[in-house]
Amino acid sequence: MRNQRSVKQEFLRKWITGLRRYSCDEKKNMSFLERKKAIKLSADIAMASTRDKTTRWSQALIANASSSGDTLTGSSKNNSSRSRKKMLMMRRRRPKVKSAKKEMSASCIAKRLVEKRTRKLKNLLPGGESIDEGCLVEETLDYIESLRAQIEVMRYLVTASQLIINPYP
Amino acid sequence: MSSGSRSSRQRSHSTRISDDQIIQLVSKLRQLVPEIRNRRSDKVSASKVLQETCNYIKNLHREVDDLSERLGQLLSTIDADSAEAAIIRSLLSN
Repeated sequence: MRNQRSVKQEFLRKWITGLRRYSCDEKKNMSFLERKKAIKLSADIAMASTRDKTTRWSQALIANASSSGDTLTGSSKNNSSRSRKKMLMMRRRRPKVKSAKKEMSASCIAKRLVEKRTRKLKNLLPGGESIDEGCLVEETLDYIESLRAQIEVMRYLVTASQLIINPYP
Repeated sequence: MSSGSRSSRQRSHSTRISDDQIIQLVSKLRQLVPEIRNRRSDKVSASKVLQETCNYIKNLHREVDDLSERLGQLLSTIDADSAEAAIIRSLLSN
């Protein structure tokens, strides 16, 4: 396990560096939604960079962010992969309907459920679609740990900001 | 699981997770999230664990989103280069 405290410090440092880009004059008039996206994006990237290319999810996250450029609306990429995925899933389902066995054993149902939920989990991880199952568990645990650290630091910043704005509640 | 079915499974891009991995996932998840409990600790259903994990990650995503929104409102009143930001940074480095 990594030293969580140093991870959080590194994350905070990088995150604030990223946020600085949005405090220059030309960006001061961002809409609320744009600002939220900027904060979230810089937080995600900062957390991914603390992994220093050692995990797949962090690499994928940074790659996605840099390929969508500086725009805050890089959602078209996600939509295309999602529709492609739906097509793939449809193609996979058809042969099963044509199979001779009409009854499915309980273990068969269970296996399909596991497969379905494994796919769901893969889709939740950045870059998870192309991950192989051997690494899936490790990547998932690392990703969860990083998310928790990110949330803790973000919460801290919320509290600190609130105190600065209103020091005497 | 016969060897015949295994080869066809490889062709069809299987998504089998081994039992060991499920056990590892469950024990780690328990450490991280005390709320995830199994009533029968000796029998773990792989699909249930996967579902719990997915739900947990979705919750974490939602929380990040929510915090980003709140910070968006709060930080509009703080200049990132200002003295306040420096104070925050020093507070959080302890």
